[in-house]
Amino acid sequence: MENRLRVLRAERQWSQAELGERLDVSRQAVNAIETGKYDPSLPLAFKIARLFGMKIEEIFDDGFDGEQND
Amino acid sequence: MTDLSPMDDAPAEGSIGRPIAWMAAAGLATVFTAGAIVGVIAASKEDGGALSTTAFAIIAAFVAIICGLIYAQWRLARRIAASGGEMTRRERLNRNIMIACGVMGGTIGLVLAITSDTLTADPLTVFSEAPLPLTLAILLALFWGAVMPVIAWFWHTRAIDEQEAHAYRDGGYYAAYAYLIAAPTWWFLWRGGILPEPNGIAIFIGFSLIWSGVWYWKKYR
Repeated sequence: MENRLRVLRAERQWSQAELGERLDVSRQAVNAIETGKYDPSLPLAFKIARLFGMKIEEIFDDGFDGEQND
Repeated sequence: MTDLSPMDDAPAEGSIGRPIAWMAAAGLATVFTAGAIVGVIAASKEDGGALSTTAFAIIAAFVAIICGLIYAQWRLARRIAASGGEMTRRERLNRNIMIACGVMGGTIGLVLAITSDTLTADPLTVFSEAPLPLTLAILLALFWGAVMPVIAWFWHTRAIDEQEAHAYRDGGYYAAYAYLIAAPTWWFLWRGGILPEPNGIAIFIGFSLIWSGVWYWKKYR
């Protein structure tokens, strides 16, 4: 899953450690999420969204284009 | 998407898997080199007691190698610590628990080596089924059966985050399937007379290695 975490972090000039401290996770977890190697749990995704004052779908993109099959 | 240029001034970041793997390899090499020193001493004792000049030279070379390996580990530890800024609270706690476990494991190994009748450099002594003094056996069982679960519980609930828990869980799946497949296979082949009797410690070590390997791959890839 793609996400904008790295960009949002860069805009605030936070290191991975600073973001990790705010989210109570390790630098490795931040790195894994940023590089798309790990998708965060729903609680962590909400925590990330609250931290940046955005909706989850504004940060994470699951590739769904909006077309719904009935 | 927003321009990534602000990252240019950020500290070096990225996966720390490679330096950690090198550190683990250097740690293992340190242990094996120390084992080689014990082997040289043991061989000298068998040949008459005193260390020859050649033995001294070999031991000095091994000591130099160990010093180099320790220095390399120190450099790697600094690189890991500097990657992505300071360690987070969870990372520091995680590291401290790992160091404590390493010290305790080393102490157990040392106690077992000291209580052994003879010096030996044979790495297969870990598979030994020789009797232990009763007090030592009870102490080791208490440590492994009562203290380790508390450390594991504390580690899982306080030190690791969800990404590491996920990696650990995946490791457990792989190890469990490997156990379910390999242990009976070995048992069948033993009963057929092809392999020696299944060894519990060998199975335990194999299980642990697979678990640790998958955990490492999932956490640091």
